[in-house]
Amino acid sequence: MAEGGAAGPAAAVIIRSEYEHKSLGKAGTGEVQRRLSWFERLSNIDSVRKYTVLVGVLVIWELYTIVADVPPLMFSSFSDTAAALVNALVNEGLLQNIWNSISTLFKGYVIGIGIAVVLVTLGVTTRFGTDLLTTLTAMLNPLPAIALLPMAMIWFGLGEAAIIFTLLHSIIWPVALNMHTGFLGVSETQRMVGRNYGLKNIRYIVKILMPAAFPSILTGLRIGWAYAWRTLIAAELVFGGQVMDTSGQMGAKGSNAGGLGWIIFQNQMDLRIPYVFAGLLSVILVGVLIENLIFRTIEERTVRKWGMQKA
Amino acid sequence: MGHAKGMSEIQFGVHVRPEFVAEVLTVPDNVNIERRLSRFERISNINAVRKLTILLGLIVSWEAYTQIANVEVLLFPSFSISIQALWETMLTGEIFEKIWASLSILVVGYVAGLLLSAVLLIVAVTSRIGGDILSTLTAMFQPLPAISLLPLAMLWFGLGAPSLIFVTIHSVLWAVTLSTLTGFMAVSETLRMVGRNYDLRGIFYILKILVPAAFSSILTGLKIGWAFAWRTLIGAELVFGALSGKGGLGWMIYENGDNLDTEYVFAALFTVILVGLLVENVIFRNIEMKTVNKWGMQH
Repeated sequence: MAEGGAAGPAAAVIIRSEYEHKSLGKAGTGEVQRRLSWFERLSNIDSVRKYTVLVGVLVIWELYTIVADVPPLMFSSFSDTAAALVNALVNEGLLQNIWNSISTLFKGYVIGIGIAVVLVTLGVTTRFGTDLLTTLTAMLNPLPAIALLPMAMIWFGLGEAAIIFTLLHSIIWPVALNMHTGFLGVSETQRMVGRNYGLKNIRYIVKILMPAAFPSILTGLRIGWAYAWRTLIAAELVFGGQVMDTSGQMGAKGSNAGGLGWIIFQNQMDLRIPYVFAGLLSVILVGVLIENLIFRTIEERTVRKWGMQKA
Repeated sequence: MGHAKGMSEIQFGVHVRPEFVAEVLTVPDNVNIERRLSRFERISNINAVRKLTILLGLIVSWEAYTQIANVEVLLFPSFSISIQALWETMLTGEIFEKIWASLSILVVGYVAGLLLSAVLLIVAVTSRIGGDILSTLTAMFQPLPAISLLPLAMLWFGLGAPSLIFVTIHSVLWAVTLSTLTGFMAVSETLRMVGRNYDLRGIFYILKILVPAAFSSILTGLKIGWAFAWRTLIGAELVFGALSGKGGLGWMIYENGDNLDTEYVFAALFTVILVGLLVENVIFRNIEMKTVNKWGMQH
């Protein structure tokens, strides 16, 4: 290093002689800026592209059924499905069936969340509660709720009570598990703030733990909803099978009892395939609505607004 | 600053306590500064002991409830009877056949679902139109419970394994794709630039950059996919049970429930729980430890 420093001044420094560039004509780079074409500008809009894809899928669906000449008993075309959906909505009271499903789901969901909150409250306040909660969730979370349906039908008979019991099972464990994990992850600083204010038990949970763990609580609620929705449809399908050999009151023919799962099952039994597709479409619509209207709104008003989660 | 502080001290008056020297500082008597925990406390501080005790307590109260309340076996079998039934089916090998019947369909459906998902994702990552198609399809099919496709699947593929595989694929495909796609989108620009710098393209870019960087969301997707598939399969076997056919654990639950052999229903439920625990705690936990935990992406 020292040697280099000493050699520095001695080394000859080459300075290039200055010169002027006489002729700098226009460079042949072509257009520097250009407006995007109509097509490009349109296709840069996200929603335009997505709706085009959606329309494309529907057109392909319709064309496929026409060109390949699929028997309507196997696969109904989009136009038949849409007509069936409108007819079912207007003449056959499909809305009532949708409402039956949603109201059952809602009852189960509310009760399930209540039980989960009680369990988690116990789990947070006492060590015994924690142990009980972790043992129960570890054991029962891997058990698909629908597997309990046969027992539920024996205990509660064919009807709403059996379905709600099964729904409860599908909601309680994921919600409790996520809530508890979220509570465990709350930072010590926030806990100390709570203790500093002298908050205890319920007030400590509501004011400190819940807001701090809200992202995982929301995840739990979402998973719970997804499991519950799947369980409900499956349970209604199983009941559909039961109606064949017992005279249960679920979805007796001609009445509007029974939910969407039952409608799908019944129409498939009667080989009214467009109506099966219409039932599936309404299942999708209800799912999209709940996901996008309810959960998205909750997310935007809470975790996004509080800056806990990015878009 | 110092001046102002001096002023306020004079204004408000500072009380200074007189100094004093503590003459005798002795350890007070009758105080246990350190004490060994009692045996009970020491044992109850071991996590596993507490949890096993709770498990035992639950089993004992179940057994005691059925004995004391004299519940009909048809309605609610006691723990011992259920375990006996489980043991019986293990001796005859029936339960292993059922587990195999369920798991073989599940594995075929799961792997096929993953392959399809991989193909869709490759198309989606490499072109914009692919991305749009995939996100539209996922948004449409993700909220549709796979089980509701079962009636149609039975129409298309008949009563049998192909229908079950079809609904299993449907339940895996969208959950895994959605989670992976979300993971890919969140890969940091720095990592992407590293990949571009190495001139990685197409499949190499996905395998070397996107997949490792998004592995924790891929793993989440795999777990959710497994949970959905397991639930769908058991549900599908129950529906099949209602129609005809034979098969795995779901069918065993349905058949025995229908015949009011409730102790066998409970034996099947135990098995379903055990298989679930095994897959979650052995397979997924291992993958997690060997990848995201080892790489320090998740604690």
